[in-house]
Amino acid sequence: MIKITDLEKYYKTEELQTIALNKLSFEVKKGEFVAIMGPSGCGKSTLLNILGMLDDSDGGSFIFNGEEVIHYNERKRANIRKHNIGFVFQSFNLIDQLTVFENVELPLIYIGVKKAERKKKVYEVLEKMQIMHRRKHFPQQLSGGQQQRVAVARAVVNNPKLILADEPTGNLDSSNGNEVMDLLTELNKQGTTIIMVTHSEHDAKFSHRIIRMLDGQKVIENSLI
Amino acid sequence: MLRNYFKIAWRNLIKDKMFTILNVTGLSVAFGIAILLAMAGFFDLSYDKFHTNADHLYKVYSVQQTSKGPEASVSQPAPLLEALKAEVPGIEKASRYLQQEAIVSFNEKEINMDAVWVDADFFDMFTFPSLKGKINNPLEKQSSIVITESTAKKLFGDEKAIDKTVQILINGKDHPFNISAVVANNLPQSTLEFELAIPFEKEADYQNNKDTWDSSYHDVYIQLANGVSPKQFEKATRALVDLNLQEQIANAKRDGAQTNADGRYYKFDILPVTDVKFTKFKNGYAEVSRSTPYLVLGIAFLILFIACVNFINMSIAKSGQRLKEIGMRKTLGAKRKQLFLQFWSESFFVFCISVLLGLMLSILLIDSFKTIFRTAVSFDLLISPTIILSFLSTVLLITVLVGGYPAILLSKLGTIQSLKGKLDHSGKNKVRDGLIVIQFGIAILLISGTLVLREQLDFMRNKDLGFNKEQVLSFPLYGKKDSHQALQLLRNELASNPDILEITGADNNLGLGKDGSLSKSIYGFEYKERVIYTNSLTVDYDYVETLDLKIVKGRNFKRGYANDSLSVVINEAMVKELGEKDPLTAYVTVSDSIRYPVIGVVKDYNFEKLDKSIQPITMFLNNNEGLYYAYVKVAPTNMAKSYDVIKQAWKKIAPNATFLGSFLDENINRTFRKEEKIAKMITAGSIIAIVLSCIGLFAISLLLITQRTKEIGVRKIIGASITNITFLLTKDFLKLVGVSFLIATPIAWWFMKEWLQNYPFKIDLSIWSFLAAGILTTIIALLTLGVKTLKVATQNPVKSIKTE
Repeated sequence: MIKITDLEKYYKTEELQTIALNKLSFEVKKGEFVAIMGPSGCGKSTLLNILGMLDDSDGGSFIFNGEEVIHYNERKRANIRKHNIGFVFQSFNLIDQLTVFENVELPLIYIGVKKAERKKKVYEVLEKMQIMHRRKHFPQQLSGGQQQRVAVARAVVNNPKLILADEPTGNLDSSNGNEVMDLLTELNKQGTTIIMVTHSEHDAKFSHRIIRMLDGQKVIENSLI
Repeated sequence: MLRNYFKIAWRNLIKDKMFTILNVTGLSVAFGIAILLAMAGFFDLSYDKFHTNADHLYKVYSVQQTSKGPEASVSQPAPLLEALKAEVPGIEKASRYLQQEAIVSFNEKEINMDAVWVDADFFDMFTFPSLKGKINNPLEKQSSIVITESTAKKLFGDEKAIDKTVQILINGKDHPFNISAVVANNLPQSTLEFELAIPFEKEADYQNNKDTWDSSYHDVYIQLANGVSPKQFEKATRALVDLNLQEQIANAKRDGAQTNADGRYYKFDILPVTDVKFTKFKNGYAEVSRSTPYLVLGIAFLILFIACVNFINMSIAKSGQRLKEIGMRKTLGAKRKQLFLQFWSESFFVFCISVLLGLMLSILLIDSFKTIFRTAVSFDLLISPTIILSFLSTVLLITVLVGGYPAILLSKLGTIQSLKGKLDHSGKNKVRDGLIVIQFGIAILLISGTLVLREQLDFMRNKDLGFNKEQVLSFPLYGKKDSHQALQLLRNELASNPDILEITGADNNLGLGKDGSLSKSIYGFEYKERVIYTNSLTVDYDYVETLDLKIVKGRNFKRGYANDSLSVVINEAMVKELGEKDPLTAYVTVSDSIRYPVIGVVKDYNFEKLDKSIQPITMFLNNNEGLYYAYVKVAPTNMAKSYDVIKQAWKKIAPNATFLGSFLDENINRTFRKEEKIAKMITAGSIIAIVLSCIGLFAISLLLITQRTKEIGVRKIIGASITNITFLLTKDFLKLVGVSFLIATPIAWWFMKEWLQNYPFKIDLSIWSFLAAGILTTIIALLTLGVKTLKVATQNPVKSIKTE
């Protein structure tokens, strides 16, 4: 599903240039659950942003679903993104002014799903995440675990082929964290490819494979299956 | 403590320079413009209030019941003054007042001047302070005249004026007059304007008219004793009406006129002198309307209001950034009062700077303001303790209210709520949205007003008036020569010039000439047992040809027809008035018995300003009556050259008279000065209103977008396009502009409809002017929002979500 080859990313300031990704290459197959680990500043989040087509790379190749997307413009990338990729963040990134229902509904609006169908899909996913009863609440009225479940619901509501999760349990206690990890595992079992950045060895164990990074490079890869 | 407040206030202001600049610029511009407009408005309202006796001075007007309803007039017959003094108790002083040009000679000088013919009481009633000569009763002797300081300078230079003798041309002869007093120049806020004042008894027609009640030709002013009401005055005049105006009353009865509420056909009434400037007579009623100065003050208020709304909205929007500070101060023990003072001192600081800058701006702009808006206002006229005190109290009041509101809101916040940095926006957003709606409503109101006003002005400027205004030039026939003779000399002088097509003369001008004189002459006569009123115009040969009037029946006056000087030419409105199937069988009765037959009918033309419908007019060809204006039609080519040729020719004929020629289209445009002034004020007002509203909108959008940066990032990540984001950020504001449009349009429509009622010749109000105002406002608002919105919408979402 994803193949990156010699991917590069630099951050330049007036005085120095920092290498965030240094000719990084790896492949993720459809239906895989991959964890990316490494110390702070090793390039994990940069990698995730490029994989999510939120950021440009400075070199290399990125093939998504058999398509070279490295030179795609913002509009094309946005189009691929909204149909194929769901995001889960450490800080949930829910919109405070919108209710749980409205937050989850948002991606469907942007891909032009009709109102009745949106409602059906949102209800389905809220049911699945067991937060149906909270659909009229605002994010501030929910616990951290509930908020992350809403974020996961939002990420999966349009059945993305890929979920990118950036430290999804970082702001949660262990019990809520485990719940979220179970959710991701379940989604993966249903066929969704998941790439997760994490600091937690515990969480990484839920994945099929761990890619360990240092200074923008892949240093080791462990298969867990 | 206070120093500390100001120190912190200063730091906060320079911390966010963009915001402070927007705030101070908006407020300064608003204060500057509001000061100028308020000065102009109050100046207009102060007309004639400078007279010490202003509260007791009145102008007399009469209301006559006619078969067409009541008709009011300020022109009075000469014997009225004495009758009033004799029969009405409470009249302390009274004076007749007739404004006419007079040719004044002194040695070699011969100057055409604005003279008023008044009675001896005039200078005791009105405050025109005597600078030299007699202080009391300067017109006691009939050989005395009073001149103003600038007239003295014109006539005698630096020489002493008192007791000098000048010659004034009356009935074709020079009469000597002695200067008894020099008074201060007329104040700009005086409706009574003159360069010299002459005893009324010396007026050319006085001897013929002094006992005649059916010739009204001058104004009458009276000074009433304390406690005498207009109603008492009216009642007291009834006996003299019944005694002296029997004929008019009998005619009214015969013509089927209805009596007034008191069962009378004729009455005298009075109008406070301070209302004269603002009075229009409509259907026999004196309608006093100060709408123009109030409109100017209204615009000043609206502009200040918009700027204050900006200030409030910007302060509230910005409060979100200072929540932690408020929480921390509260935790450390700050009281509500202290917090209030802290925030209020910041507002006070901004207001003080803005008022000072605004004042400086108004001083810088005053000269251009005076030129553009044709106002005589100046700072000198306003330097009085009352005005300075009211100005300072207004500024203080605004500072307390406008600066106080956000300060109260912020100081009221709970400690925990503040520390968490969360602000419950819902309530305040309603206030903010309401204020934005009002702001844009005002802008839309003013813009649509501007569009309609300009449309009407264009319509009036371009309307076919029924005569040739482009090619005809008119000028006053000043000078000592007989006007008919002068006109003939002009014809001889210009006969050989192929660019001069026609020359004629009349006793009235069309439009407002450079001499600034407007007059009309109404003539009433009995026609088949009813009274008919018509405008009367004395013309010379070729009047119809020169002005390209259209003869619809009969013919114009022609040379060689001996009886033409005993005939009349009338317009179509007069034909209707006469009610004859064949107007050429009708006649106009002159001097009771002589009938002047109608020999021709001209198509109706607008001989008066376009705020009046076309009235009946009758043209006389009378060599014994003076002609006051020459009309010259020139070829459409070389018009500027022709102007010079006419000017030179006139200089030869009347070497001492100034040439005040102007083309009729210029004259017509001069009659629209009031409309132009209002149009300019509203245009300027609407531009400033929209700019200020947009400054506010820009500042608020800046803050709101900053607050929503993270949300924008999240939305982009989950699939929002640039269009989605732009729409998201602008839709709320555009909705508000839409609501403003819906509220402002009916109000604007109503105002403009009312205003257009003043004009019998008017445009049809079309929805397009209002839609255009709405669309224009929307586009301007969109552009204002667009700059920052697009920047955020195209920003990398990864950066946006890192904003916390």
